[in-house]
Order: sequence, then C-alpha cells, then structure tokens
Amino acid sequence: MRKTKAPAVIATFVVCFLFWLLLTWSVKPQELIAGAVVSLAAALFSARFFIHEKAFWFANPAKLFTGLFYWVCVFPCELIKANLHMAKVVLGGCKVKPGIVKIPSSLESDYGRAALANSITLTPGTITMEIVEEEGKPWYYVHWIEAESDGEEAGEAIKGRMEKWIRRFWEK
Amino acid sequence: MLMWIKIISDVLIACGAFFALVGVLGILRMPDTFCRMQASTCVSTLGVLGVALGGLLHAIFVMNSASTAVKIAVICLLILVTNPVGSHAIAKGAYKAGIRPETPMETDDLGRDSE
Repeated sequence: MRKTKAPAVIATFVVCFLFWLLLTWSVKPQELIAGAVVSLAAALFSARFFIHEKAFWFANPAKLFTGLFYWVCVFPCELIKANLHMAKVVLGGCKVKPGIVKIPSSLESDYGRAALANSITLTPGTITMEIVEEEGKPWYYVHWIEAESDGEEAGEAIKGRMEKWIRRFWEK
Repeated sequence: MLMWIKIISDVLIACGAFFALVGVLGILRMPDTFCRMQASTCVSTLGVLGVALGGLLHAIFVMNSASTAVKIAVICLLILVTNPVGSHAIAKGAYKAGIRPETPMETDDLGRDSE
C-alpha cells in the first residue's frame, strides 16, 4: 500500500475545500471551520488514492491556462463534431462498421493516460475498452463504430488533436 | 439584452433535447450492445451539457442565483468525470462476459491479442 505524503494531503485538502466552498456558497466562519475539518479528514484518508505523482503539477499558470483551454475550447469542439457525426449516422441510417482497434500513444504519466482514455470514451463513436503497456508505451483498445483503418492511422483519426493538448497539460 | 439571453438559453436547451433524442433513437436502431453504448454517449455528453448550459445561463442572468449556477457547474463536472469511467467499465465487462455482435466485428484486436 502507498504511504500518505504531506504534499498529497495538502493538494487533496485544497480540492476538497474548494468543493465545500462551491457547494455551501457562504463564508460564515462556522461553515469555513466545519469545512476545513471535514476536508482535512477526507484528505488524510483519501490522499494516497487521489494523488500518485507530483502533488503540485498544476501550480503553474501557463499549464493551468493550457488545461482550461483544452477543456473549454479543444475538447468541446471535438465533442460537437463527433456528436453531429453520430446524429448523421443515427438519423440518416448510414451503415456502421464496428470493430475494436488497437492504437498506440506516447503519454507517460498516469494522469495523461487516464485523461486521454476518458476523452476518447466521452466522444460518441469511440469507447476505450482496455489499456495495456508494451515496451513502455501505452496501447489503447478502442471500440470504434467506423473501424476502417488500424494502428497509427486509426490512432490519428481517433485521438485527433486531443493527445497533443493533453501532453501539453499533463506532461512537461 | 435579457430577452436575448433567454433565447440563447432556450436554444441550448433545445439542442440538448435534440441530442438526447438522437441518443435514444441510436439505442433503438444500433445493431449490437457496443454500438448502442456508443449512441448512448450522445445523451450523456451534449444532451446533458446542452441542457445544463442553458440552465446555467438561466440561473445566472434570469434567476440571479449564484448557488444554483455553481451547483449546475458541479453537476456538469461530475458527469464529465464519472460518465467515461462507467462506460469503460460496462464495455469491458460486457466484452469479458462473452457478449459479441451477431455479425462478427471485422477488426477485433482485443480478441486477437487475448487468445
């Protein structure tokens, strides 16, 4: 089992406390104190599951801005494109050609891999089914409704611009 | 001004409803389990997000209620975080349980590699 480290506890505490502030939406001292106590307890118990690598990777304005740009501009754009395509398939009655393809990726951190897998699953038309690691590189098994190509080519079609932005936010 | 915001929020809600309809039609029309899951992603992404964004605009500018707005934003965030985990688990579970389409998939790299 992983050990609980102080920076991880602090980062988890900050996230929990922000959520508390958002949900209660008041700054009365008693609310703040109760929130601090509860978030500290939650952070002590859950920090080792929540944070695996560097605890303060996001404490960098440029990175934070990149992440915000990804979640506000790049990802919704891909989402709308995929949704319109799905609408065309469903309403227009195009033939689907389902298949499971294996695509390579070059992300290194756990966060980046999880974020890419989640982005792929959130896009209608593709669902990540499994991630395996071979020769230090992650490979995604993706169920795709238009499995026309394989390997690198399929990877380009599925990941699109998402992988580039995820690498900018979660790595180096 | 307020009227335009009301119109925009109504349009967003209508878009959300449209994509929810597309998702449901997809669930009915697609040929097998996995393709149906793909169609259902439409409902939980643009379907929910469109309605939630419309509601967000309404809460901020018409109701003037910050706490409602924040709650809607948190709902969006939680859906975006939890939905892919659920779909991923269901798809993998269905595949492991031996569920396959009636007409075999043309490319099945997962089946090929796990033999």
